[in-house]
Amino acid sequence: MRELEPGGSCHLRGAWSSGVITQAPTAVPSRSSIGSARSTVCGSHKPDHLEVTRVSTMFSSSQLDGLTPSQFPNSTPSPARLSRNTQGLVPATVKMISEASQSGDEKSNFIVDGVDVANVTAVGMAFNKNSRPSDIRFQLDDGTGRIECIRWITEKIDTREMDALEDGTYVRVNGHLQSYQGKKQLSAFSVRLVTNFDEVTCHFIECIHFHLQNSKAQSQGAALASQKADSSFSTPVRGASSGHQPALPNDFSMQYNSDGLKSFDKMVLNYLQQPSNIDREMGVHVDELSQQLKVPVAKIKDAIEFLEREGLVYSSIDDYHYKAVEGL
Amino acid sequence: MQDMDISSPAAFVNGGLLRMHVGRKVRTVLQVTRSDIGSVMGKSTDGCQLVAKGSPPVPLTSYVEVIGVAENENTIRAELWTNFGDTFDASNYDKLCQLANGELKHLFL
Repeated sequence: MRELEPGGSCHLRGAWSSGVITQAPTAVPSRSSIGSARSTVCGSHKPDHLEVTRVSTMFSSSQLDGLTPSQFPNSTPSPARLSRNTQGLVPATVKMISEASQSGDEKSNFIVDGVDVANVTAVGMAFNKNSRPSDIRFQLDDGTGRIECIRWITEKIDTREMDALEDGTYVRVNGHLQSYQGKKQLSAFSVRLVTNFDEVTCHFIECIHFHLQNSKAQSQGAALASQKADSSFSTPVRGASSGHQPALPNDFSMQYNSDGLKSFDKMVLNYLQQPSNIDREMGVHVDELSQQLKVPVAKIKDAIEFLEREGLVYSSIDDYHYKAVEGL
Repeated sequence: MQDMDISSPAAFVNGGLLRMHVGRKVRTVLQVTRSDIGSVMGKSTDGCQLVAKGSPPVPLTSYVEVIGVAENENTIRAELWTNFGDTFDASNYDKLCQLANGELKHLFL
């Protein structure tokens, strides 16, 4: 029987945290590259960048860049929120906004798809424009719902921007997501007419992209948290009847993981970590792993080799039987 | 945190998806093939011939977005029309329709 090497567990911790990073999705394009991203996805569309310069003087560029958890190696993923740092301008449908919960911290941001969101970009039709001396309000209807938008009037440029707005016209609104008297609304810092309608298609695709990136990261965060919870439970539960299963569904990790080897290793590890298998003194034969997980023995052996190096499993009665290390 | 109007969302559809939403609010983009009083015939982003009933804007561009209620698998009773111009990426829009009706439906409806 191999002993767990002291170096093994440190390496394990490094492996898990780096595992989260390398498996995190690619970064959301920063504000400056959104234009080029759009032109490749959506043909000849070139968005009007007039408001970008104004926005970037109001906000530091780091706020505008789409920052993802992958760029913060020290942030600890939790099931609820992956990054303490607020995302930049998040593309969202009104439906997604309506489902956002309040983050409850001092920043009074919202959480969309597990991510802290302060500013949102939305595309839809404007209705019920209402001009007052201090502000201009309208409802933005993007086909998934309606949200109130407020454009505060401080300069002449603000009114001019809004003059062009007529009922039923397509606009892009960039604004700060807020809650007022229980209702969500957008405090718009930019309202721009849509002139090339590929932008409409593009926006909804960006919403989908944002959602997929963050639910992928979220499922890995949840997987990590549930794995940690499992290993802390396995010792006291030993010997008792085990209704307790690892919370990580196997096909989840296979579906969302970009690094196939790591997620497969997790599958093997999960199988070995099941309390019923932990209880087996002789361990689990690689043939059984191969049958149960429906993969060739060679692949099982590769995974076992990796897991053994990481100090997560060890061979029991012979080189074909393995058990998961407990108490990690 | 309710009180937001998400009561009448319009589902993204192409020709093939229209039948799934008969009786409900839909939105689609058509490439206009024929325009009469009271209706417009157009090609959907997946190549089907659809009819949009109502009063289209004048003049009409090549592409028009129609939002309305699906009467049957090839007719929409249009409430809102938007000229989408003479150039529009129909295949992108078509992909969006497929995505928006699949696993990602909950982001829209």
